[in-house]
This record gives sequence, C-alpha cells and structure tokens, in this order.
Amino acid sequence: MSSIEDLGGIADPEAVFGHDDDEIMLPPEEPSLPPAEWIRKNLFSSKGSGVLTVLFGLLVWFAYRGVLNFAFHNPSRKWAAVPTNIRLMLTQSYPEAQYVRIWFSLGIIIVLSGLTLGVVRSHPMINLRKVLSGSMTLGAFLALSALIIKNNIQTDADGEFVRDEFAEVLRVDRGEALSGRWWVFALAALLIGVAGFLWFKLGDRRRFIFIPFLGVIYSVLGLMVLSLWVVPYGKYGLLPDGTFLAEKGATVAATTQGPWTVMWVLLGLSWFVGNKLLPSARALKVGLYLSWFLAPYVIIFVVLRDPELDWGHVFSTDIPMFLAFAIIGGAVLYFLTNPSLGEIGRIIAFGLLMLAAFHWLAAFFGWYPMLQKARLSFLVLAFFALAAANFAGPRKVRLGYVATWVGAMAVMHYLITMVNTPSTLDIQGGDDFIGGYLLSLVVAVFSLTLAFPVGVMFALARTSKLPIFRVLSTIFIEMSRGVPLITVLFFFATIIPLFLPQGMTITKLAAAVVALVLFSAAYVAENIRGGLQSVRRGQFEAADAMGLNTSQRVGLIVLPQALRVSIPPLVGQAIATYKETSLLAIIGLFDFLFIAGRVIPAQTQFISQRFEPLLFVSAIYWIGAYSMSRYSRSLEQRLGVGSR
Amino acid sequence: MKNSKIYRLLAVLLAITLLASACGSDDADGNAGGDDVSDDAGDGGDTDDSGDSDDSGDSGDSGDTDSVDVTQGGVLAAVLARGEVNCGIPTSAVAFAQQDANGVWQGFDVDYCRAVAAAVLGDKEAVNFVPLTAAERFTAVQVGEVDLLMRTTTWTQGRDASGDQAMDFGPTTFFDGQQLAGRRSDGFSEASTLADVDGASVCTNAGTTTEKNISDGVAAAGGTFTLVPAEDIPTAVAAFVAGTCDIFTSDGSAVAGEAATNADNADGDWVVFPATPISKEPLGPVYPQNDSEWGDVINWVVFASIIADEKGIDSTNASDRLAQEEAALAAGGEGLDAEALRLLGGEGQLQSALGLEPDAFLNMIEQVGNYDEIYNAHIPAIGLSREGSANARWTEGGLIYAPPAR
Repeated sequence: MSSIEDLGGIADPEAVFGHDDDEIMLPPEEPSLPPAEWIRKNLFSSKGSGVLTVLFGLLVWFAYRGVLNFAFHNPSRKWAAVPTNIRLMLTQSYPEAQYVRIWFSLGIIIVLSGLTLGVVRSHPMINLRKVLSGSMTLGAFLALSALIIKNNIQTDADGEFVRDEFAEVLRVDRGEALSGRWWVFALAALLIGVAGFLWFKLGDRRRFIFIPFLGVIYSVLGLMVLSLWVVPYGKYGLLPDGTFLAEKGATVAATTQGPWTVMWVLLGLSWFVGNKLLPSARALKVGLYLSWFLAPYVIIFVVLRDPELDWGHVFSTDIPMFLAFAIIGGAVLYFLTNPSLGEIGRIIAFGLLMLAAFHWLAAFFGWYPMLQKARLSFLVLAFFALAAANFAGPRKVRLGYVATWVGAMAVMHYLITMVNTPSTLDIQGGDDFIGGYLLSLVVAVFSLTLAFPVGVMFALARTSKLPIFRVLSTIFIEMSRGVPLITVLFFFATIIPLFLPQGMTITKLAAAVVALVLFSAAYVAENIRGGLQSVRRGQFEAADAMGLNTSQRVGLIVLPQALRVSIPPLVGQAIATYKETSLLAIIGLFDFLFIAGRVIPAQTQFISQRFEPLLFVSAIYWIGAYSMSRYSRSLEQRLGVGSR
Repeated sequence: MKNSKIYRLLAVLLAITLLASACGSDDADGNAGGDDVSDDAGDGGDTDDSGDSDDSGDSGDSGDTDSVDVTQGGVLAAVLARGEVNCGIPTSAVAFAQQDANGVWQGFDVDYCRAVAAAVLGDKEAVNFVPLTAAERFTAVQVGEVDLLMRTTTWTQGRDASGDQAMDFGPTTFFDGQQLAGRRSDGFSEASTLADVDGASVCTNAGTTTEKNISDGVAAAGGTFTLVPAEDIPTAVAAFVAGTCDIFTSDGSAVAGEAATNADNADGDWVVFPATPISKEPLGPVYPQNDSEWGDVINWVVFASIIADEKGIDSTNASDRLAQEEAALAAGGEGLDAEALRLLGGEGQLQSALGLEPDAFLNMIEQVGNYDEIYNAHIPAIGLSREGSANARWTEGGLIYAPPAR
C-alpha cells in the first residue's frame, strides 16, 4: 500500500475541504450503529421485514451459488477457450507482430487519462472507515464464495475429468477442495486482517481520516499488475505453427506482463506530470480536451492502420492543396470578419455555400472529377464563412478565427490523407483491420462522440421557433426512434451504397458508425429536449434582459443547465449505444459478441464451447457499463443534480 | 470567453467533417484504400446451412447490377491482374471455415480457396477471404464481390438453373447428408429410422432445408413430431443438451462433430442415425455463371487434388515425383506415369490450355496438399473419418472421383 503514501498519503483537512472551487463540502456522517443494532434496525425491524430478509437472503444465496458453480465447477466448463482466444476476442486478426501498435494506442489513452486526472485536480477523498469496511466485506465475501462453491472435479494426468461407471464426474473430498483454494482464504485473511487491525487500532478516529480515492484505485491496479508477475494464471495460446499451448500454473507470458506494467507506470507518471502542470492548466485543459477528441481518429487511422504514405502524392497534391485552402480561405475569412463589412459578408458566405453545394451536386452526377477532400474543404469553408459575422471585431479576434481555420484545415487534411492512404498491415482475411472488442469500442466511441453534438443540434432544432427546423427535426427523431436499430444498420450497410455516386464506396465500418450516430442522436436529442424543458422561463428572460443574443443565450445559459439535468438519461443512452455495438455482426462485422458466440465455438479445439466466452464477454461489457454508470453518479454529485 | 467558443465551434465542425470524411474516399485519387465494396442483403441468420435453399427472395433485385463484367468471361484475367482471389467462405463453420486463436482462417473450404490461389497465382496466401452469411452469399457471387464461393453450399437444381440466380456449380468436394442425433437412454439406436421420431420433439436450425427435410421425411413415415427451431446449430445443440428436445438434426458433418466432441456425450449416450442420411447435401465450389474459362480452372483444381490423391502425390513428395517421372521419361518410358507427369507440369502438360502456368498444380499440391491431406487436416477433428464414408476414394467405395488428366 506504499503507493497511497506516494500519492499524498493521509490527507490534511485542507486538502479535503477546499483547494478547488468545484470541490463540495461533505455532509456530516451519520454516527454508525453497532452491528447488532444495525441488523435489528434495518433487517428485522418487524416480523414481516424479517421474513422478507430471510426469504430474499436465501434467494440471493442460492442464485449466487448456482452462478458460481455454473461458471467454475461445471464439468462442461473448459475455461481454456477464453485465455487461448483472448487476442482473437480483443483484436481479431490484428497481427501479433504489430501488437506494439495496440499497446501504443492504449498508452496514448492511459497518458491522456492520467493527465486529465492530474489536471482536473478533482481529488475525491474517501473515508478510511469505508475503505476498511469495504475490504473486510470483500474478504468475507471471497471466503464465503470459496466455502459454498462445489468441490473441485478430479482430473487425471491429461487434464480430463475422472468419471465413475455411471459417467458422473467425480469430485475431490471436501477438505481437499477447500485446501485447494487456500489462496482465496489467504487473500481474504489478508484483507480482513489488515483492515480489521487498522479498524480497531484507529478506533473512532477512522471516521475522520480521508485518503485519496485515486490512490486507492491506483494501488489496486498496481496489485493487479503485480499479480501478473507472481500469480500462476497459466499460459494459453496458439503457437504460429498451429500448436495448441496450454501451460497451467505458469505465470502469464512476458508479452502481457511487460506492457501492463509499463501502462501502470505511465498512468502514475502522467498523473504526476498533469498535477504539477497546474499553473498552466487553462491552456492545457483545452489542449487535453482537443487531444481526447482527436485521439480516436489518430489511433485508428494513423497508429493502428499504419498507412504507407505516397510521398510523391503528398508533396505534389496534399500539401499544396492544404496550403491553398489555408491561405486563400484564411484571407477570405479575415476579410469576412471585418466588422464594417455588413450584408456583403453574408452574401459572400451564402455564395460559398452554394459553390460547395454545387461541387457535391457535380460529384453526384459525375460532371467533373474533384478530390473529395476539396469538396469537404469547400463545405467547411462555407460554414466558417457563415459563422464569420460572429467573430467580427478587433484584429486579435479576427486573427484568432483565421488561426482556428488553419488549424482545422491542418487536422482535417492530415486525417483525410491518412484515412485514404492504404494500410500496410498484412491482415489475413479481408480489409477489416479491426475486429473483436477493439471494433466494438471504436464504434462505440465514434458513435458517442459524434452522436452528442448531432443530438444537441436536433434538440435545439426541435425546440426552435422556426417551423421548418422544428418539423424536420421532429420527423427525423420520430423516424429514427420508430425503426429498430437492426433495420437502420441494414439500411446503411446495404441500401446506402446503392445511392452513392460511381466510384464512391462506404466501408461496413463507416456505415455502421453513421447508422449508430444517427440512431443514438435521435435519443440524445430527446434526452436533451427533456433537459431544455426543465430550464425555467425566467432564465430565458434574464438572458434577454442582459442583452445576450440567441447563440449566447443558448450556449451560456440554457444548454449548460439543460445538459446538467440530462446527465442520467444521457449516460443511459451512452451505455445503450455501447451495448448496441453487439448487433454489428448482422452486417457482417466481427464484433466482440460474434467472436465469442460464433467464431470460438467453431474452432476445432473448442467446438460448442460458447458459455465461457459469453460469460467473459458479459463480464467485460458489465465492467464498461458499470464504470460509465459510476462516472455519471460522481458527475451528478459534483454538479448537484437532484439536490439543487 | 471568445477563445472557448472557438474551440467549441472547432469541435463541432470537426465532428461534421470527420463524419463526412469517414464515408467518402478520394474518388479521383488513385490511392484510395481500405474500402470494401458494398455488401448486399442478408439476414445474418445461420451459418452452417448446406441445406438452405430459401436464399434469394431478397437478392433478385441486385442480381442485375454488375453481372455484366462477370458474363464477359473475365474472372481469370481479373484475378491474375489483381494478384488475389476473392473467396467467399462461411462466417463460422466447424472444420470448414474457422478462425483460430491467431486470427488465421483454417478449414476444408478455406484450404480449397488457398488451393485455387496456389494454382492460379502460385501463392496460397494470395487470398482475400470474404466471410459471408447464408443470405448474402449468392448475391456476392452474382455481383462479382467474390470470384469463388467455398461456403458449404449445397448444389441444387434450383440454384444452378439460370434465372435470377446467375451462378454455376463445380465438382462436389464434400458429400454431406442430413442425420439425426438422439439418446440411447430415450430408446434410440443406430438402427432407428424416421418412423421412430414419431411423437418426439426435434431441434434444428431454422430457415434451412434441414427443417423441411425432417418435416417431409417424418410425415412420409407416417409420424408427427414437434419442431423446436433454433437460431443456429450451437443453439440447437444447447437446447438438445438441456433436454428441451429429444432429437437434434442437421447436416451429418455437424451432427457427428457434436456427438464426437460435446461434453454431454462423454458417456456415449448420444447416437447418430439413420446410417443412410435422409437427404443429399453435395457441397462444392460456386462461381459466376457462364464463365467457362474460370469454371474450368476451379473444376480442375478440385480434380487435380483428387487425382493427386489417387496417385499418391502429396505435398511432401510432389517435386520428387516430378523428377522421378521425368527421369522415367528420359529413360524411355520404363515405369512412367504419363498422367502424373502431365499433372505436375512435365511433358504434355495441359495446364497452359486452362490459362494457367504449367506448374500450377505442382504449386497447389506442394503448398496446400491433395484431397486426402486437405480432408484429414480438418474433418477427422470432428469425428468423421474418410474410410467408409461417401467421401472415400471411388476405388474404395466412395464417391470422390475425377475425370482423367489427359
């Protein structure tokens, strides 16, 4: 537990109560009752509640016992299917030789997480009493689980189950079974012992000691990483020559231990760095959020795809084109932000929009060839031009706007060039270079980050005063919500390609992302509309009274309040989208669930072994969804949703 | 205030841009990569469905789109120019196409894809595997998304007849047939027939001809039964194991595979019957209609693998055999097997007439193997041995037979 000390140790009250304005005051703790009193008061307060407690307690007991035995002590369970196929489930065919790219991507995310945690400086403190009682409960729970689970199954030298003459599996006797689980009891004893010792040693003081929550989490992660080096989880896999490898009782391969240790160190380091860089936090925060936003694209299209740039093309076409758009577009925008321009500006902007639209029309009818990138750049330029009037003002503001334009162009041209450069990855079996959990995650992240702004847009449009926006948005939302997701996925994967102009294709992955974005945007829009309705009329009037224009009123007054209220349903939608990625298999993508449910049971070694992979998939999905749920809870508490 | 507004605007704009860029490729740009062509409809229903005939209610509409390229007989030229064979395979089918823990495709059908690549392009790895669901497989052939379909597909008259399903069938590589699995403890035995199914409940994967075959068969035998449809074979097996139904039926290869490997059958209680399958399911390659040049190549790749097996030429001895036959020819014909010599690309070879390199089949046999090797690499693992089955050599009472190479 030394790492807790490293991260600040036992905190002084000041650290708890107030270095940051968004830190909330903790309400006074209720005095804790002695255990017997607590049980009497909460579980057996009356005859009826006593009966209910016993009844449901038994129900939980049997259900839990059943699940444990089903998962671990069932003769048909062969858990080797999961560790052997772990790479297949997580990344499908991603070549092992290139796995450093996966770790590098994970490293990017870890570093960004660490920096964010450090910079945001939100240090939730957790009461030591809770930690102690939590670890004692966990210890008791582990010991109990190890006690109630059925006896181990006897295996012979080949690892096959020993059966009696009636083909029933034989189990070892009780004592042997329990002694075989000594490590569970050791762990439980350690947890209970240490926590109990501290509990009684500290006495009542335990209630007033707070330790940083992040430190606890980081220590637990550290212990888990450490366990990779010492605990014999076993080595499973398929050697390149096709030999099935199953070494029970070995510690996991160095190719797993090493990277995870590096990740753990990286997380701590980046947290430290982020925390020390606080003085420049404002700029850093914006940079961090931008990095978060760009990270998925960079990871997918640059790191994982390993594009091989055609330098001739880059110098002859890509860079000149970027420069042309950046310089000429910048000049146009600088001109358009001139405060004394008046109506001419809007006319020019509208003209640019028409020009962009014309290029797209030309593409559709195939009148003249043009790089897609150029069409997109024209479109973005038109949008920038339309918004230019809002940035009219002193020279500094105008230059800032132009700089934003150049930055946007740089990012956009860079990513499009990367996206369109062929991958050098040698993937067996087609063009899809991602699959498995990676695919599910990528689709979920892209869909969520894109569905949110689109959803906000539709919510605002639906509450807009302009009937055309209101009607269009209502039609879109009701159409999207009225159609099953499977239909939408099919539509985008099979029908949309028929509408595309000649020579233009859409990958299944892109089709899936677009379908999910539009589908979840409809739900997001409705969630946010609910939030918008909760903003009182007085807020609008106050904004008007201060002389704010519409975009300022929406952006500064209404939306922040509406989004705060919408957090619970929005997180619900995020979790739903995350889980909906398991439908991707129906358009032929190899998502996490499909590999667990269909690909692994088709392998010769693991024919019909689908429960183990499915249980594993459920566990992973649950961890993801539960983390989101916890995060939303803490966000709600910070923002005081429901309490103010 | 202004600053953060800029970033917010930037974020929204980027979102829109990237959304749009995700869908588009530089169409005037030669190097657009990583995009695959649109896929046509499919309901993603079942995987192993050699008996699935109701494929194409939805595929007729797209059959007319791109078949022009296909009917001009250019698949071989297109494959040679592309340097890669697009081969349609099942998304997952035990022993026929499965992805191993390293993400590499393995299986009987997969190996025939590799054999075609080895023969045509000289490299067995020059395959682009296209996993297809049952419903999308025929459309994929018709629109030219795949050059070859090796996807446990049953050869039927309806599928072969021209019309809206423009495709041809090659020689059968695996003779399958529908069988049933029951429990000895329920009174079933190897001698059970469809008449014994009377009154039982039967699990099978829905929407395939297995369902129709069992209904017709039991009705013809004068019985009645309860059908318990399942989404796919593993689900049907799980229902059988759980006791939801008394009998589980599917293609013989799948039934035998389950009986051989399922932990529930550790005591040997399961029994597969009847000995003669209740339906014929010849599985083999499918390729675009009216392209004889390409069709001949596929047919002779299959035949060459069978002839090589008959003559005992396998991946280990193919080169030696060629040298040996050439020596025999030089020595005046003593002990010469002229057919083997021709097949391996020696004197009088006929591969050039197919539009291939003379050593096409030598490459194929060296890199992938003969029929026996391909079979034994995958099928025995699910408990089906070649001896005594319909897939034995014709000289040993089986149906695996090839026309002579001369």
